[in-house]
Amino acid sequence: MIEKIRCAIPGEECLKYVHKSGVTVYMEPMEGISTAAAQYTAKFGAVDSKALLSDGSVLDIPDGTAHYLEHKLFESEDSDTFTRFAGNGAYCNAGTSYDCTSYYFNCTDNFTDNLEILLDFVKHPYFTPQSVEKERGIITQEISMYRDNPSWRALMGCLKGMYSVNPVRNDIAGDEDSIAKITDELLYKVYGAYYTPKNMYLTVAGNFDPDDVIKTCDKYLADTGITPAKSIREKEPETVRERLVKISMSVSRPVFSIGFKLPDKEGRESSEDGIYLALISYLLFGDVSDFSERLRENGLINDSFGAQQLCGRGYSALLAGGISDEPRRVLEEMQNEIRRFKSEPPSEKDFMRIKKATYGSWIYGLSAADSVAQMFTRAALSGLPPFGIMEMSAGADYGNMLRRLSSIDENNACLSVVDPL
Amino acid sequence: MIFERTQIDGGAWFNRVTNERYKTNRISVSFITEFDDIKRPDYTIVPYILTECCEKYPERKHLAKRCAELYGAAIWNNLGFEGYRRCSSMSVCAPDDRYALDDEKPLRGICELLTDCIARPLTEDGAFDKEITRRMRRDMIDVIQSTINDKRQYAAIRAARTVFRGEPLSGLLHGTVEDAERVTPKSAWAAYKRLFERGHVEIFAAGSSDFREVREAISEMLSGIKRGDFVKPEICPSPLKAAPEYVTENVPMEQAILRMYFKAPDMDDRFANMIMGMILGGMSVSRFFTNIREKQSLCYYCSGDTDRFTRTFTVYAGVEPENIERTRDAVMNEMLKIQKDGVTDEELDAAKLELLNYTAAAGDDSSSILAFYQSQMSDGEFISPKEYAERVRAVTKERVLAAAEKYSLDTVYVLSGKDGGQE
Repeated sequence: MIEKIRCAIPGEECLKYVHKSGVTVYMEPMEGISTAAAQYTAKFGAVDSKALLSDGSVLDIPDGTAHYLEHKLFESEDSDTFTRFAGNGAYCNAGTSYDCTSYYFNCTDNFTDNLEILLDFVKHPYFTPQSVEKERGIITQEISMYRDNPSWRALMGCLKGMYSVNPVRNDIAGDEDSIAKITDELLYKVYGAYYTPKNMYLTVAGNFDPDDVIKTCDKYLADTGITPAKSIREKEPETVRERLVKISMSVSRPVFSIGFKLPDKEGRESSEDGIYLALISYLLFGDVSDFSERLRENGLINDSFGAQQLCGRGYSALLAGGISDEPRRVLEEMQNEIRRFKSEPPSEKDFMRIKKATYGSWIYGLSAADSVAQMFTRAALSGLPPFGIMEMSAGADYGNMLRRLSSIDENNACLSVVDPL
Repeated sequence: MIFERTQIDGGAWFNRVTNERYKTNRISVSFITEFDDIKRPDYTIVPYILTECCEKYPERKHLAKRCAELYGAAIWNNLGFEGYRRCSSMSVCAPDDRYALDDEKPLRGICELLTDCIARPLTEDGAFDKEITRRMRRDMIDVIQSTINDKRQYAAIRAARTVFRGEPLSGLLHGTVEDAERVTPKSAWAAYKRLFERGHVEIFAAGSSDFREVREAISEMLSGIKRGDFVKPEICPSPLKAAPEYVTENVPMEQAILRMYFKAPDMDDRFANMIMGMILGGMSVSRFFTNIREKQSLCYYCSGDTDRFTRTFTVYAGVEPENIERTRDAVMNEMLKIQKDGVTDEELDAAKLELLNYTAAAGDDSSSILAFYQSQMSDGEFISPKEYAERVRAVTKERVLAAAEKYSLDTVYVLSGKDGGQE
């Protein structure tokens, strides 16, 4: 049954549909838009490192497997996926995050053909020892590329310092040692465990006919009867593993990342945490803050400074990063600011101003088909209705923000620095 | 969708794209000025200052708070080359008024914000405010110094010294640290005055409005200035070297970066040239991707772009140091093959479809359509997405081959790390 879901923002309406195969589908036809965007997502990402399979056995998943699987899924026995999409003028790609793996395309023509290709190639894995081996070289080079990026290295150092057991501490692409353990056999096992319809989400937005989506789903998706594997996660200690992580690279000045570790959450609670942490980081450390003005004035930070939240399955943190000659002082200033705001909270007027800006940011997101599809995917993965995250954000209240703020332990922090050689 | 271009004065034009469906409104003001080599940082610092604060909002946090009140409006600057000219743009955007939950009118708000920032900056003793100049100078020096942090960008900047030797593009738009250190409130103020007095001005607005109020406000702003002797946009193809130059530089890093530059100073077929570049290295099933990455596993990325102003085709790849020569030979081989055999029907169709897809999507939102028209500032004509699509469709295999034949190798640049990337 198709359910119509209206959004608090005028003119926005989404169709929710759970296909008989078990795949959850969110769709928003957008009037006057030429582009259609579709995302097909498996709730399987880099944090899934150990799986309890339906037969009761436990599968250890090396770091980087979700990303490796994403690369290899584009390959099939008789045709090249990129070439199939290119024949229809579509742009296609994929991305692996800590929490999920998404395959997507944008097109202005031949929407149904492209959707067929998307559902078809994700449904048909084809791995051989040779093709898996060949990809290892390409992925190793991708890892090398990121290792030359100091901001990325600072962030990775920070996550490694904050987390003891949660796989969020490891690079999404893994490392040379972990990807050496990946075989065609392992990829098939992992695929079978997680790429089951009940663990998949299809989101579509823009210029398309919902009936075509339903017909295409009927053609390509079937209930496999397989229950998705359950990811096993070790209990993460509440405190950070290390307070200081340092490496040296070829950089002009120290590049840093600071993380305040917070109690981890799941699903809806994690999304809610993300919304409040975004508001708090904006209020305390954004352009509107006294902190930003003061530290920029005395040269402790520059335009490169930014703060944001990182929330997902089993992890929650407030992050900041940038370039500074004195990263330790930036950390101390941030800790002082959190302490100050706990005793002298920001005014409700300031909070409402930031909330207004956040509401505006959703309007930007609703302008393009791909960002709408992306928003729906995020909501679906958290078990929320399509506009759920946006509506939670619109409903954020001052009292809850203060409660969240008071729960931040400013001393439970890690500083990661990339120093010049 | 309506596109309208009207003249404000002898050197200023107002361009608007109106579509009632658009959910956000955007305004951008671009100043095109001559390239003054010595005064690079004086011109570069101006947009930094103008988007940082103004008389009405004397600190950045004041400006940021006003932006938040306007439903998350944004103000930012862009700096770039337009051929041999410098282009300094200041832009604003906000959600459309129909989404406001109170009496606020975000469109009027961003228009005021933009004119306040551009026309009424924070001043002191007939020049820019000293403290703001000091801070922005420091930020600018940070930008110059931190180019080494992003190795791909650093490789592009270093390579440009050889590729475009003797041309404005050979150096950073910001100039050197030494030049930047010499910027004073007065020297920056002189550059600011020059932008207004002689600059070729292009204003672009895109959204649901007819932008009449915006046009009036900006016209009024310009009418208060004595303007004349306007700079004209100027495109100069980069000359081809008598023989290719090979440069290798080392900094500590793990992966090497290979950049190869081909030039075609007499290129006269913009659309065939673009399609040739896509087939070689600019689309998802390009020859570089298929043959160099997928078949030979020589690199994680290998792509190529054409630049219609400099008439250059740039190839860039991230490779393991031991694969540099093989990758360079593979790229040369692909270039020679396309120059000898041209392209297939399938390749031509795929490139056209990808471009048509992009063109059709250009009208989807205010951001894309503004970028579409703004990118034509120095072309001497403005064409619609429909006209653009027709020109893409008209390209033939013969024209692509003719475009490919015009290219010759100019420079090969390698940035490599002998000792790995870290300690």
